[in-house]
Amino acid sequence: MNKDPLADTGEPRGYDLEVRHLKDRAVRMGGWALGMVHDGWHAYDEGDLAAAQKVLDRAGPLDQFDEDMEHATIAFLVLRQPAAVDLRTAAGLLKSTTHLDRIGRLGFDMARITSSGPSKELSELRSLLQQMDDIVESMIHQTIEALNHDNVELARQLFTRDDAVDRMHRQANQLIIANLEKDPALVRRLAGDLLVARHFERIADNACKVGEKTIYALTGQRRSEYLPRHTTRPYVLEGPIPPSGGARG
Amino acid sequence: MKFDRFARRKYFSNGMAVLTGLAIVAIMVPLAAVIYETVLLGGSVFNVDLFTKGIPQPCTPLAGVTCQQGGLVVPIEGSILLMGLSALFSVPIGIGAAIFAVEYAGERKSARIVGIVADVLSGVPSIVAGAFIYALIVVYDPTIVFSTLSGSLALAVIMIPIVTRTCEEALRTVPNSVREAALALGISRWKTTLRIVLVSALPGIVTGVLLAVARAAGEAAPLLILLGNGCEHPLQGLSQEGCALPLWIYVGATSSSQNLVNLAWGAALLLLLLILVLSIASRLTLDRLARRMRGE
Amino acid sequence: MEVLNLSAFYGGNRAIQDINLKIPDRKVTAIIGPSGCGKSTLIRCLNRLHETTPKARVDGSVFLDGEDLYKLDPTLVRRRVGMVFQKPNPFATMSIYNNVSAPLRFNGRPTREQMDAVVLRSLKHAALWDEVKDRVDSAATSLSGGQQQRLCIARALAADPEVLLMDEPCSALDPIATAKIEELIGQLKNDYTVVIVTHNMQQAARVSDFTAFLYLGKLIEFGPTVDVFEKPKEHLTESYITGRFG
Repeated sequence: MNKDPLADTGEPRGYDLEVRHLKDRAVRMGGWALGMVHDGWHAYDEGDLAAAQKVLDRAGPLDQFDEDMEHATIAFLVLRQPAAVDLRTAAGLLKSTTHLDRIGRLGFDMARITSSGPSKELSELRSLLQQMDDIVESMIHQTIEALNHDNVELARQLFTRDDAVDRMHRQANQLIIANLEKDPALVRRLAGDLLVARHFERIADNACKVGEKTIYALTGQRRSEYLPRHTTRPYVLEGPIPPSGGARG
Repeated sequence: MKFDRFARRKYFSNGMAVLTGLAIVAIMVPLAAVIYETVLLGGSVFNVDLFTKGIPQPCTPLAGVTCQQGGLVVPIEGSILLMGLSALFSVPIGIGAAIFAVEYAGERKSARIVGIVADVLSGVPSIVAGAFIYALIVVYDPTIVFSTLSGSLALAVIMIPIVTRTCEEALRTVPNSVREAALALGISRWKTTLRIVLVSALPGIVTGVLLAVARAAGEAAPLLILLGNGCEHPLQGLSQEGCALPLWIYVGATSSSQNLVNLAWGAALLLLLLILVLSIASRLTLDRLARRMRGE
Repeated sequence: MEVLNLSAFYGGNRAIQDINLKIPDRKVTAIIGPSGCGKSTLIRCLNRLHETTPKARVDGSVFLDGEDLYKLDPTLVRRRVGMVFQKPNPFATMSIYNNVSAPLRFNGRPTREQMDAVVLRSLKHAALWDEVKDRVDSAATSLSGGQQQRLCIARALAADPEVLLMDEPCSALDPIATAKIEELIGQLKNDYTVVIVTHNMQQAARVSDFTAFLYLGKLIEFGPTVDVFEKPKEHLTESYITGRFG
């Protein structure tokens, strides 16, 4: 052997190019989903029906992305019979497609419950939800980055942020229930906020799942090998949340 | 310009075709001539007597004297005996040497030495072989120097290299996969060689033996020295003087009696036929046996 | 079967180097690697066929049931460790029956009944019985390539080995014949330990329980096939199975 077969020649080898194409698709789909979340939240927050409609129209392309990705990944699997990292990446992308679709759908759901006119009340709740949006959008961005650039560390950092989102979700729930008890006239608005807070929690969770797939693709480790299992108990039994940190709710 | 070159090439090509055709004719002519002469002169004595009667009294047909034709029983018996005996000596040795060269020495020098020795031996003039055997036996037991036995020994010396070389070729044609298949079944080396490889190479080996026998049948020089002159009376023992067709051709052809000369031509024709039959047989055997073994 | 510090040479060239490998019993172990990495040499050391090549030499040991095969009579070793070759090599001068009964006939004096029984059993084991049962006396060469290979498998099984070695058994066959033999291998492992050399990774993945990856004469990785193909431990292994070799 004259050359070291492992030396990085800088040239694409094996299925590098094909895997790259698959990842690019996923990145584009993620960007689309991120946009739907961002615009869906803002439409809901500002009560902008026109903006909401625009988000609703983006569902079709999202479905198309989902189908195309699935098709491309299956084609790669059956035609190339990949192994090791290529196999893990493809299998991971197949599942991540579902999660990205979920994320986009949740933005869609937020747009769907938009009612006209922004809410002037409950600034504390509104700013909490805005914070959740900021974190969640950042998480989506982070998970796409990790996938795009094979960054395991970036993916790992998602889990603590998910914990924060969970805490904020509980906080929001408590705020909403307290307000419902105070002022039943705000029911319609608060019902929407309840759903939106839950949507944010789900989005964060899905972003984490995509991160898990990135970690699996690059290291072969599955979630149970690096994250301890925790038990969730109903919020009701937990009582009020401590100000910061503490057990995962 | 172009036309010239093209025409020249065509003429050259045609010319060569004519020349090579002439060469073929040139080869065929002597063969045809020999066959023609032999058939003509030997055919006159070809009848039942040829195979049943012994050598007649020398006699030349003159006015009023009819000569006995006689027959070639003795030379024929002698030739058969010689061929059988020399085969008995040469075939085991030849096959053994071939097996050694191919199976046990493989690529090593000793294998090539066997081949070289066989080649040199095949180049030894047959008369030298005869002289060699003479010298050997004279020392051992002078009384049996002129006998069928010593004749067959000399023929064996001539046959051995032929048998060795053809067997070696035949064994080498057996693909290694056969040997490996047998060894992989836990069959011992020598059983593999004898019962499987040799059997596979049998067509080639039989051909080789037939060719060697054909050669031996026609050799005259050593017999002239070693057989003595036992053609006139029926064969006695192996250690006694013997006779063979080639020997008789010499004796009869140089005789002054016409009937003996005729018989010599008869022997020549017989010999030619024998060699023809053996050659065709060896060809057919190779073909037929090989095909039967392949299951066709 | 256990291989200990095995090295093999052709003249001065070292073909395999210090191989240490435990081959699991009654399972299929595949040996993969690029051309010239020593896979065939390794497998031929397991039945002591390597040393029949002129100028070949072996260092180290191969243990079967605790006995060092290199301290026993090679001919006896080869009756316990059988082999099937890349190109089917039935004895062309023999019938189907005689081919399969060859290990019996050449290694002992079997009765007709014994031979009948073994031929039947072996041809059934090799999934060939149904196709040839009315013509066991016809020439072995009258069979198709895939059938001839199954005949060779039957013949090897007739010797009643403990281990069956297969050196790229499907390379010379068409896909349907290949599929039949792969299926056969799946059944054989119930009774025999199978070691298969293959240059076709998908075949290794389909057929084997364990996989060993050889490169330049050295054993790089060995483990359950699923693990080797999903998450190989060595970078070299991963490079090979993802086709990224330079």
